[in-house]
Amino acid sequence: MKLLATTNRYYLLLATLVFAVGSVVLYVGISLALRIEVDEQLLNQQREVMRSTRLKAGLLDIVALSAEPQPAGLRDTVLLDPTENVLVPYRQLSFRVAGPGPPQWVTLRKSLLETEDMVGLVLTVMLTVLGLLLLSLVWLNRWLARRIWSPFQHTLTALRGYDLQHQPVLALPPHTPIDEFSELNQALLQMSQRLEADYQSLKDFTENAAHETRTPLAIMQAKLEQLLQAQELRPATAELVGDLYSATVRLARLHQALTLLSKIENGQFPHVQPVQLDQVVQNRLRLLQDFIDDKELTVTSELRSRPQLRMHPALADSLVGNLLQNAIKHNHRGGGLHWVLTAEYLAISNTGPALAGEPARFFERFRKLNASSESPGLGLSIVQQIGRYYGYRVHYTFSAPDAVHTLRVEFGD
Amino acid sequence: MKILIVEDEPALRSSLVEYLRHDGYVCETADGYRVAHEKIKLYDYDCVLLDLTLPDGNGLDLVRTLKADGSRAGVLIVSARDSLDDKVLGLELGADDYLAKPFHLAELNARLKAIIRRRQFQGQRHLLFRDLSVFPDQALVLVRDEALPLTRMEYDLLLFLLANPNRVLTKESIAEHLWGDDADTADSFDFIYTHLKNLRKKLQEKGVDNYIRTIYGMGYKLSTE
Repeated sequence: MKLLATTNRYYLLLATLVFAVGSVVLYVGISLALRIEVDEQLLNQQREVMRSTRLKAGLLDIVALSAEPQPAGLRDTVLLDPTENVLVPYRQLSFRVAGPGPPQWVTLRKSLLETEDMVGLVLTVMLTVLGLLLLSLVWLNRWLARRIWSPFQHTLTALRGYDLQHQPVLALPPHTPIDEFSELNQALLQMSQRLEADYQSLKDFTENAAHETRTPLAIMQAKLEQLLQAQELRPATAELVGDLYSATVRLARLHQALTLLSKIENGQFPHVQPVQLDQVVQNRLRLLQDFIDDKELTVTSELRSRPQLRMHPALADSLVGNLLQNAIKHNHRGGGLHWVLTAEYLAISNTGPALAGEPARFFERFRKLNASSESPGLGLSIVQQIGRYYGYRVHYTFSAPDAVHTLRVEFGD
Repeated sequence: MKILIVEDEPALRSSLVEYLRHDGYVCETADGYRVAHEKIKLYDYDCVLLDLTLPDGNGLDLVRTLKADGSRAGVLIVSARDSLDDKVLGLELGADDYLAKPFHLAELNARLKAIIRRRQFQGQRHLLFRDLSVFPDQALVLVRDEALPLTRMEYDLLLFLLANPNRVLTKESIAEHLWGDDADTADSFDFIYTHLKNLRKKLQEKGVDNYIRTIYGMGYKLSTE
């Protein structure tokens, strides 16, 4: 619910309550005052009746004379109005008159109907005022919402469009007509500046770390390569150097994969362009042909749609490459590789032995399916990270009867 | 062939110099932007091997300077940064190739040779090695004037070996040269062996033998003897 609607609701509730209590108090008060007034009039009449020497019915309109004893004092009563055939409330005063003859009881009556009318009028006026007040409150709030809350709406729009990569500092006016909104804007501005500084330092750190480790790696690799060229190396030494060299190459690959992962996590691939995914798959398959031939794999495809995704081309290539490499690496000789591309997903299936362990954990870093493998086990982590970056979902399924593993990347949400 | 090596890391610089001198290049070095700038203004080089991150400047500015001066020198960028943007920018500015650190010296050598070949001879030059002549532009290999039919992989492999004669080429460097990022998809060393076996067989059929030697535990070597 909107803030204004909420406060409005409370205002209206309070106003209604105050008006209800006010109306009741007013009703009771007016009724009481009118009754006192009627009583006073009746008592005045009583005095007049007592003063007069002769008593006779019809002296006053509402005088009833009776020889029967009546309970003395003021009472409420109801009489039937013969013309309108409704019961009408009356106030009556009975007293005994001691005259020359036998004692007589006089009853004076006065209609309360007029007072009821008056209370009705008061209530009507009150309710009308209440209604008008409520309506005007609603209208006022709408007007305020448009006028006073406009800087807030502006801030909200700016926040919604906030993008750390494209425009690191929020475009907000630091001063608005409303102090609270100015404070909000200033706080947000400061926050975005801090965010930008943090992002920048993280980015710098990743880049520097990558740079600083690459250089010693390059030196190691170059020196080892030089050592390998030395003519006088004994075979045992040569093997040692060869192993060292392989290790540096693996380290370099690992470094490359980790840098890629952290770059994706830091959102350092802001540029997107339309990528024709089927072409990426076909290009990659061509590059991997040697490996496919070696394992005598049969590649089949099902191209239901040719979606154009908005991605960083390097990430699209990495995503597809890792999926295909995975499908080739974990395949058995003479197996199959099947890929399906629709507007909603890309699925790559391969045959292979069933895997032990939980499927969700296959995406974990350094999760090796084959412990002796030289690859660091980052391929699927990269796939998942790229998927997460673009809001794609990555699923792994295994169909037991035909031993087919399928990795599916769903583009939509 | 005169090469300028711009690299601020002394250990790497010395390795580069030693590796390239062995191939008969004349190597000059610069350890920073200012020295490099002065040298490219004063002298002509066939190729400049350029590190992008220098202590006193950006290597990309040197590419700009070279292009502004209309230099004939080829430019091979060697950088520890591997972001696509740097790569694209470097190549857009007119660099001939881009190699990310860490790299294999053999790979660097092969690329350097390719650049020089393209630059100096407009691609018309052919490579001679013992009984082989290779015309890189036509992907044609002749053994004593007889064409040697090779697959794409065998040809790439032969060219890589030819770029680094008499040097031990590690299996890793061959794998990465042939397959790049896909090198670790499977046990690529078996492929290298298969391709090498086929290449040797084809050479043998043409009557030449023993060019490619296996160096136990390390890799392969194209022998001049």
